[in-house]
Amino acid sequence: MDRRVRSLAEQVEANQISRREFVRRTAAITGGTAVGLSVLGKMAEAQGPKMRVWLFKSFVTDSNEILAKQVEAWAKERKVQVEMDWATFGDREQKFVAAIEAGSPPDLAEMNAFGPTRYKPALRDVSALAKDIATARGGLLPHAERYVVLAGQHFGVARQTWPGGFFIRKDLLDAKGIKPPKVYDPDVVEMAKKIQDPSKDLWGLGQTLNRSDDGNGYMQNILWNYGGGTWDKDGKPALATTYLKQNIEALQFSVDTIQKHKIQPPGVMSWTDVHNNEAFMAGKLVSTNNGASLYYAMVAKKHPLAEKTQVIATPGGPAGSFLAAGCYNWGIFKASKHTELSEDLVRWVEDEKRFEEYMKASIGQAGPVYKKRAENPYWKSDPNFDGMLQNVLRGVWPGYPGPITAAAVEVQAQYILCDMAGRVVAGGLSAEAALKEAHKRVEEIHRIRSRA
Amino acid sequence: MAVPAAELRSKAVARSGGAVGLRRVLGPDHRMGYLFVAPIAICVLSLVAYPFCYAIYLSMTHKLVGMPPIFVGFENYIRLTWDGFFQRAVVNSFVFTFGSVALKLVFGVVMALVLTSNIRWRSFWTGVLLVPWVAPTVVSALNFLWMFDGSLGVLNYLLVRVFRILPQGVGWLSEPGTAMASVIAVNVWRGFPFFGISFLAGMKAIPAELYEAAAVDGANVVQRFRHVTLPGIKNILIIVVLLSTIWTFNDFQIIYILTKGGPGGTTMVMPVFTYETAFGAQRLGEAIAVALYLLPVLAVTIMVLARYMRKGRRR
Repeated sequence: MDRRVRSLAEQVEANQISRREFVRRTAAITGGTAVGLSVLGKMAEAQGPKMRVWLFKSFVTDSNEILAKQVEAWAKERKVQVEMDWATFGDREQKFVAAIEAGSPPDLAEMNAFGPTRYKPALRDVSALAKDIATARGGLLPHAERYVVLAGQHFGVARQTWPGGFFIRKDLLDAKGIKPPKVYDPDVVEMAKKIQDPSKDLWGLGQTLNRSDDGNGYMQNILWNYGGGTWDKDGKPALATTYLKQNIEALQFSVDTIQKHKIQPPGVMSWTDVHNNEAFMAGKLVSTNNGASLYYAMVAKKHPLAEKTQVIATPGGPAGSFLAAGCYNWGIFKASKHTELSEDLVRWVEDEKRFEEYMKASIGQAGPVYKKRAENPYWKSDPNFDGMLQNVLRGVWPGYPGPITAAAVEVQAQYILCDMAGRVVAGGLSAEAALKEAHKRVEEIHRIRSRA
Repeated sequence: MAVPAAELRSKAVARSGGAVGLRRVLGPDHRMGYLFVAPIAICVLSLVAYPFCYAIYLSMTHKLVGMPPIFVGFENYIRLTWDGFFQRAVVNSFVFTFGSVALKLVFGVVMALVLTSNIRWRSFWTGVLLVPWVAPTVVSALNFLWMFDGSLGVLNYLLVRVFRILPQGVGWLSEPGTAMASVIAVNVWRGFPFFGISFLAGMKAIPAELYEAAAVDGANVVQRFRHVTLPGIKNILIIVVLLSTIWTFNDFQIIYILTKGGPGGTTMVMPVFTYETAFGAQRLGEAIAVALYLLPVLAVTIMVLARYMRKGRRR
């Protein structure tokens, strides 16, 4: 309660003033406060327009700080008040959903690859800006174009791809005279069996199939590696139809790494996205799939395993080596009253000098989405970047070999493929039965999303 | 034309008859009463009734993020009924809830009995046993996530390396046989102090004379517990079980942090399923249908228990 109002209330209690007088004075105080706040608001407006910007907080803290500083520098230069907010892995979608449904999304947001597909109804067409930026940088890489260009319009300005890689313990491979694996079966299996030592809690492979981004990415890739997939080239469900045979082989192999070959640690089916990072850094894994953030963590912390680790291109299967590469991008919302300022800020942070500063601090995490950025000498500055870059350049998208669709994105978001693997490992289903069960769920999603 | 005075009087009485009747029923200040009740009525209607009715409406729509809802009637409910993954979530919810509540009940009674006995440092032990209840759920769940970890967790370390009970670590949260048991164990660890402290309050209110009389009549410890303690805490027991059933059924944090409903849906429960449908699938209408699906069952359970409690009090 306001100090003055409380004092008046005490006077009423003590019968020093009448209730009528109390009401009159309280009204005067309230009115005065309202006028004061209004004046303060006008003064704030005079300091420049106010913008809301959402950035994504990754595990690579150095580059997060650089991006924040760049945005602050822009705000100072343009005399704009920027209200910066961070979203991260656990709260990103909730924040977007809540803000869009409440009708108050930010002016500008750094979105992940699924952002344009998921939030298209709330996003502004930024084709002119996106084409300008892309043309000056040699054009978009194919996977990035798939994410941000929907029905010929750009709903995001591409920024970066987080490369993934296959992390192997070079020292352990060298000690046994084993070459880095090129395919999962038999290379990874043999490497793992020869090097692992369960009695010392050292395991050949750390790859969860549980509900997580790591599990999702792996399951999607392994189906492609065996010539299968979730969708056919027309964007129709193909899990237990067109590609049934190939998908059974891929799923069976994945389950075998746990149950038959026993090259994965106990509890791997309960892992989240951080478990394999921790296990690898604790020296308990010979190999694991992960994003570049693991390499950043080891290098930045001067971890003793950093020098003993090699990052290579993700192994493949009988049909080749495929993997989905993402594309972080800038989205400007329709509800924004500061479209021009938002576009200006995107141009500012995507300026090549500023992006290079950001990229170098990321230690491999800020992968290219534009052709010229892929040619930057930085990618030859560390042998471990080679595998990461290769992964980006051959990257595909959810829905491959068909188009990226809302249904394909939802299958990922609902962890359908992880559940499918879990039904075999933990539910005791056969690979075929699990595929058929998952196919039904995919068909249902396709039906619902097609209607929308 | 002149109207007789008696006729005018009778018309006036007829006009005001309704108001007089209402005043007689509600009292002379009933208009003022409405005025006083209005703020809270408006609050309840706008903060409870409106969102609830709107949620029911949305559950009957096809509502995607950023797009207007399309009315589909009971389609979401019908589809969910035949969805195998949802069916498993319903079964898991009941297993998780009743398994947890039953164990919390047992441990809670034991805790209360121990704390009513003549142990040393009773206040200290009461404080210690309340720690799980006081600690934030997220912190507890994250600690258990680490403890259950197959490679780096302390549980496997103790069982395999220190006590050498097991030859190899167990995937506590990844094996079908242990995943549900593990999440129930965490819920029990967190929830039993509430049972214990509530029962403790109830037991302290039982007059000592009743125990003395029972002892004089030759009742042993078990009989005293059965015929004196249990009837004495019956009402508290029902309230605690009722509240805990509701809380456990709606518990989201423990399972989401420990397993996210995995592996393969083994620990998927309704709140996590709702969350996944809302923010993963971003189908808001269907997510609300999931949340509301078992509301009638829970409401009936609560009503039956509440009626039972009232009966007990009347006796």
